[in-house]
Amino acid sequence: MKTAIVATAILTSLSTTAILHLGGAIGVAPQTSAAPAPAQMVDFRSTGSVPANTWHSDKDDRLGLTARGKSDRLSGLPVKHVRSTSFFAAYADEAPDRKSILVAQADPASNNTSASDASTPSVPTVPAPAATATANATAEPKIDESALRYFARQGDQRRLDAEIARLRALYPDWTPPADPLAVPNVGDPQLDAMWQLYSEGKYAELRKAIADRQAADPSWQVPADMLERLGVAEARERLINASDLKQYETVVRTAADTPSLLTCAEVDVLWRLAEAFAKTDRPERARDAYKYVLDSCNDPEQRLATVEKAIPLLPKPLVDQLLATERTGPDGKGEFEQARLALSRQIVANAGQDPDLVVPQSDLNAVKAVAEPDTGNASDPRLLGWYYIRRDQPQDAELWFTKSREREDSAEAAQGLALAKIALNKPGEAEDILYKYRDETDDIRKVYMAAAANYLATEPRVVIDPTILARMAQETAETHDPAAAQQFGWYARDLNQHQTAAQWFTTALQWKPDDEPSAYGLVLTLNLLGDKAGVREIQRLWAGRSTRIANLGEPAEQTQANRRIPAPTDAPWTGQPVSSAAPAAPAAASTTPVAAYTAPAQQTVTPAGSYAVAPAQAAPSGNIAMADRMAPTDVTDVDRGATIQEAYTTARTRNAAVAPAQARQNSSSGGGNRASQNRNCSTTDQYTQLTGQAALARAWCLSEMNRPLEAAATFEQAIRTGNDAVRREAAYGQSLAYLSRNMVDDAALSASKAAQDPKRSHQLEVDILTQRALGFYEQKRYNEALLALDQRSRIATERVDLMAIRGYAYLNLKRLGDAERVFNAMAAVGSKEGYKGLATIREVRRLP
Amino acid sequence: MNLRLLTASALAMMIGLAMPAQAQPQTTAAAAGSVSGEDWAAYKAKFLDSSGRIIDTANGGISHSEGQGYGLILAYLANSAADFDQIWTFTKTELLLRDDGLAVWRWDPTKTPHVTDANDASDGDILIAYALSLAGEAWQRPDLTSAAQSMIAAIGKHVVVPTDNGGITLLPGVTGFKSTEREDGPVVNPSYWVFEAMTRFASRDKAVDWKALSRSGQALVQTARFGERQLPAEWVSIKQNPVPAEGFTAEFGYNAIRIPLYMIRAGITDRNLLRPFMADAGGPGLSLVNLNSGAVTATLTDPGYRIIPSLVACVLDKKPLPQDLLQFTPTDYYPATLQLLALSYLRNIPGGCT
Repeated sequence: MKTAIVATAILTSLSTTAILHLGGAIGVAPQTSAAPAPAQMVDFRSTGSVPANTWHSDKDDRLGLTARGKSDRLSGLPVKHVRSTSFFAAYADEAPDRKSILVAQADPASNNTSASDASTPSVPTVPAPAATATANATAEPKIDESALRYFARQGDQRRLDAEIARLRALYPDWTPPADPLAVPNVGDPQLDAMWQLYSEGKYAELRKAIADRQAADPSWQVPADMLERLGVAEARERLINASDLKQYETVVRTAADTPSLLTCAEVDVLWRLAEAFAKTDRPERARDAYKYVLDSCNDPEQRLATVEKAIPLLPKPLVDQLLATERTGPDGKGEFEQARLALSRQIVANAGQDPDLVVPQSDLNAVKAVAEPDTGNASDPRLLGWYYIRRDQPQDAELWFTKSREREDSAEAAQGLALAKIALNKPGEAEDILYKYRDETDDIRKVYMAAAANYLATEPRVVIDPTILARMAQETAETHDPAAAQQFGWYARDLNQHQTAAQWFTTALQWKPDDEPSAYGLVLTLNLLGDKAGVREIQRLWAGRSTRIANLGEPAEQTQANRRIPAPTDAPWTGQPVSSAAPAAPAAASTTPVAAYTAPAQQTVTPAGSYAVAPAQAAPSGNIAMADRMAPTDVTDVDRGATIQEAYTTARTRNAAVAPAQARQNSSSGGGNRASQNRNCSTTDQYTQLTGQAALARAWCLSEMNRPLEAAATFEQAIRTGNDAVRREAAYGQSLAYLSRNMVDDAALSASKAAQDPKRSHQLEVDILTQRALGFYEQKRYNEALLALDQRSRIATERVDLMAIRGYAYLNLKRLGDAERVFNAMAAVGSKEGYKGLATIREVRRLP
Repeated sequence: MNLRLLTASALAMMIGLAMPAQAQPQTTAAAAGSVSGEDWAAYKAKFLDSSGRIIDTANGGISHSEGQGYGLILAYLANSAADFDQIWTFTKTELLLRDDGLAVWRWDPTKTPHVTDANDASDGDILIAYALSLAGEAWQRPDLTSAAQSMIAAIGKHVVVPTDNGGITLLPGVTGFKSTEREDGPVVNPSYWVFEAMTRFASRDKAVDWKALSRSGQALVQTARFGERQLPAEWVSIKQNPVPAEGFTAEFGYNAIRIPLYMIRAGITDRNLLRPFMADAGGPGLSLVNLNSGAVTATLTDPGYRIIPSLVACVLDKKPLPQDLLQFTPTDYYPATLQLLALSYLRNIPGGCT
């Protein structure tokens, strides 16, 4: 009676809620759940004489789940039965009187612990070998063999075998007829038609046919066997549908209500049940279900698949318990070899996220063994690359990422390799590797900007190819990256291009007003240019915040010492690319949902922090500035609930997501002739008179000065007065200007004012939709945010940061399933944000 | 109740004449046998798939919990246990999947998996639970009764919520409408109050004050009226005084048109509540009205739509129904459903306004 034991195990493992649910249902209609004639079955058992284990045959594909499978099943294997009993005995602790539960199952009417389902009580409960009904041991047992006969006549061997197995599970003492075809056909074509519906999976029609016939012929008795099979089949559909929808409580409940579903013939159902346990924080129960398969089922592929399914869902110690059931094949190889490799890969992959994980040497070696040969794939070396990056071994990381890219170039491998190069003081190579991937994700962009900043900061100074300089300048402007802008300033200064240096320092300060090193660079430069008024103004602005600015002109000035940004080796890239252990983002904080929600904000700050940190030699004021910058992310005491989202949205820096108005300017001028242009528009004379090309130039200039509204007005003039080419440029510029102020609708309107070339118009559209999505999200208009994201995703790949927005939008709409899907997808590509989202979902699910 | 409060014996006699012999004693509109066999056969032929799903023909052939609920109720009213079982099998295995015991609301034959949104819709939940409860008791099917009780309890637990003013209200679904989820939340839909179901739930579940919930729905119909025609909006913010909810068209639309039908079927025949719904009686069609502009956005001419204002006129003023509205020739799923529900009600009132 293995099925009964499974039922017991599952039942005792139900959550309190589920038990209450069942109890409630019974309470409503206690008499409804009486199993049909359990006494008869027990009766039969007491008179039966066929040994239960004589009919089992391993070469018999009687359940035929797979084409070549030798599916064993749970019931009818006395030896396994014993093993399983001891295995499930663990549950006995929770159900001190397990026997009484078994009895209750045989005779639910007598005991309120019955498992009969509220919604399908017409399904007979699977009888258990209870001793309650021996007194009635007079009637001949009646076993319904009509299905058996039907399938035999149809030549449906698969279903015939399944039916034989099922009847044996129900009636251990029953012997199948030697030749089912020899059984006289009583001739009930209507019943045959019903079995036909059953075998076609048309359960709704079968229900209707049964009811129709009952109405037409009140004396007709529906075969109990048919009702039971139908109930099981419906339960199976329901369980699979619920599992697909991640309604795990429903999965567990349905399985508990239909224990005869839990057999090797339905190993998929067992897997789904195990998954449901695992996803609802019952890993031991999940382990039990997997182990049950391993203890009871013999199909080698199913066994391997069982372990592989368990690996991502269960903690390592529980997986080890499953691996311990490994059998050795005739070739001397363990059947789980492949699964063990998958496990090793996962351990190494996890260690690629978390530098504190200690990976057993055997796992590391296993992955290396498959990554090393030329026949290997690109992902194994990548795993190893991340592993070494996280352990400050950039040389090894460089080796493995290079190998991965040789096999198949990918953004992720390029990102890893760039990090390794930066750590190895080869930032120029890093810049070159990553340039073509710079728009793939925000993380990659941050690494790219780090490479650019470090390249510029390289000392002694190197000559950087002008085209490289130009593209780095463009990316700096697009990203509004103050650290790289500052380095451009120092670089220009060292090349004696002081006007340009002043421009870059000014730009850096626009993007990051409290960037003391940039202010210092600017004041030094202005001083050198003899701009006394400018020097005084900066000293006034920084009074009390920077001694070195205040003390300018005094001796012991230490420009060189102060401006150098720390090389990545000074501030190890432990957290890149997906996160970093910067001060503002303590890892421990992720244990609360608040921190999980706010984490994206911390991430946007963090990578910058790891290369733009004020140098240790800087005046105290530098540290104050740093602290200011970190402050907004400190939201750990934000109230759980609606405000959580606020923290997430407000702390997020929107402009990082779209190309700013400055982009175009730098893309054409590269930063070299900026000073003169700046002078052009710093005056306020009569620009309303400007037309065409002149208006356009001034508008770009205003854009560059971060005066987007004036720029937009001037672009408008250019649109009105210019030729086609000017109009096109101006409309584009106006869109960017509006976008930089988050005036998305205006931007969209501008974009439509003149036809753009396809690439540019595509980019504009993407930017506009991005801004829309972010805007809606910030306004908590989550459905509309999702709509904008959907529109955007039709024309551009969804970046990981926008996936996070999508995930949180779903989360806010309490569409946990959808959110989970998104975060899962992110997690699948290694996004830490994805894992945080998943953790948050789990947290939310635990809330009342 | 004014119309039906004739003397009890006269009522019994008339019903006895009107109903087939096997009919149960009639006390409400929800009587088995009040949908004729022919009408039900015509309905089934058009909207019931052999898999047991009711097809929303005007919505791309999708199915939803509302449709399954209506299908179950109509099968019960047509006294067809077999069809009921067929529809229930689909409902149970394909929609009744949520962990909380409620139904996912939408099933699309063109998508895999068929359910892409695991949200529920509380009107669908209520309709299904109501049908199960009716059928379970009338046909002495404990399996159905017990499923009904579980669902009623789940509805009470997950979509009936307290309001700031000390009352209770019905959320349109478990997620997306609460005060914690929307600026203007809670947002409710008056057409989700299936009043007759709440009357029944009140005697079968004590965990929730279903009568109070019914009263809150009637109060909503009374207070959430807008525009010149004083018609209720479909989506109403009840954060403060009821106002049309953000992000939805302020409209007396497809959802809202069934409000008077639900009230009348539940015996709520208060003239003040029903009067605004009578304006289109005898006219060319039922008007959908933009509540901001007062403009008629559509005029619906299917008999299933037109029968509603006429039913109100029948109940309030004993106006006879136009004959053509009594003929059932199904067009689309939704008007056909409304028409059968209206006809089933008319069968149970003396004279039936015909």
